[in-house]
Amino acid sequence: MIPCRLLIITAILLALAVGMGIYLAHLRRRETSTRSQLVQAEHVSPPPSGPAEKIALWVAHDDTATLQPESITVPFSSGRQQRAEELMRALLNIYRSSESSHRLGAGAEVRDVYLVDPGLAVIDLNAAFADGQTSGIFAEELTIVSMIQTLATNVPGLTRVKVLVDGKERDTLAGHVDLSGFYDVSQVSTLAKQLSAP
Amino acid sequence: MALSRQIRTLLRCTVVAVLASVGAPGQATPTTPSTQNPQPGPIQPPPLFIVIDPAHGGTDAGAALNAAIPEKDVTLVVARRLRQELIARGLQSLLVRDGDATLSTDQRAAAVNSMHASLYVAVHATSQGNGMRLYSAMLSAGKDSRGPFLDWETAQESVLARTRSIQNQIAASIQQTGFPVHSLIAPVRPLNNLIVPALAIEIAPTTADVSQLAFSDYQQMVCATLANAIASVAPQLRLRSGLSP
Repeated sequence: MIPCRLLIITAILLALAVGMGIYLAHLRRRETSTRSQLVQAEHVSPPPSGPAEKIALWVAHDDTATLQPESITVPFSSGRQQRAEELMRALLNIYRSSESSHRLGAGAEVRDVYLVDPGLAVIDLNAAFADGQTSGIFAEELTIVSMIQTLATNVPGLTRVKVLVDGKERDTLAGHVDLSGFYDVSQVSTLAKQLSAP
Repeated sequence: MALSRQIRTLLRCTVVAVLASVGAPGQATPTTPSTQNPQPGPIQPPPLFIVIDPAHGGTDAGAALNAAIPEKDVTLVVARRLRQELIARGLQSLLVRDGDATLSTDQRAAAVNSMHASLYVAVHATSQGNGMRLYSAMLSAGKDSRGPFLDWETAQESVLARTRSIQNQIAASIQQTGFPVHSLIAPVRPLNNLIVPALAIEIAPTTADVSQLAFSDYQQMVCATLANAIASVAPQLRLRSGLSP
């Protein structure tokens, strides 16, 4: 015969175990939800830090193998530095959308954009950007020209652009397109025109 | 003049031999005008010749075209086929690498520059796009001469007008066959560092199936088309090389 006290203790322990299991499941659900909100927060649109403005982004389309200017109206900062960073953020948001045929790797980000007078811009990509880039002359060219031409179109006075990865020089973006030197904006514009032709 | 020409020819022979030994350890050396059938007597200036550079190689696999096909393998096979097609059209050619060797772009440029080739063609392959893309260096043509020394980073500027002219003619010739071709500029090494007309070609499949790049029929068709186009600019290359057309 099992003592009544033991039965009660066993029942309480069982109830506690079930309760803790339910609470654990609840915690897991909440954690997953918080994580997804954090990931979405990294990919938000540029913050409304200025008056709404119509700007042209040069967007790569792998399906048609072209680079096309696309206008969007969004709030933009008046400061050149913030403006340059917001432009890159807006461009990357387009590539992150499910409709984009030019996909970047998971976690691809532009870490910083530095404007150095006279006329130099430095774009610092993260390693995930370069590691996830599709390898090939044309694929890499589309990505680089898209970023530089977008900057040059919207930030007056740029003549040269340097691309870094994780703050360091790198030979190529993904095995083909050269990152060791400075890009001449006028030559990139010539290439952008070639790439925008059907 | 004759002495300097002989020295240049000897240098070319030496570089070809070095390239062959670097590119193909344990493999047959590429057939070149200087290594095949050595003739006794005075050395004759070699005819027009084209250097083909299979991009990547060794530790640099290039793009993963699919899980089973690295770019370096496709570029080597295509380069070998292109060389055969050019030889069949009476155009001498040689490969920068004829095996799975690791060569930096600077090494490739230095070797090609010392050979004074009539034309340099780098071969790339990609899973994206359709047909063939022809690239020349992303530099400004028509810069003033800077005397006897050239900047390594912009050496191609001295012949960029010729390169672009050849590029346009080759693209036009390929277009006439109906094969998809696009002509562009690109920031790709070693194009900027070369002192001879230099092009890079990037071959893509014409269907959604990337493995087409590894099919011998497709490779043969691409190489024959490209070789015909290069042969069509041979008179221009000969004139520029100081040879009779």
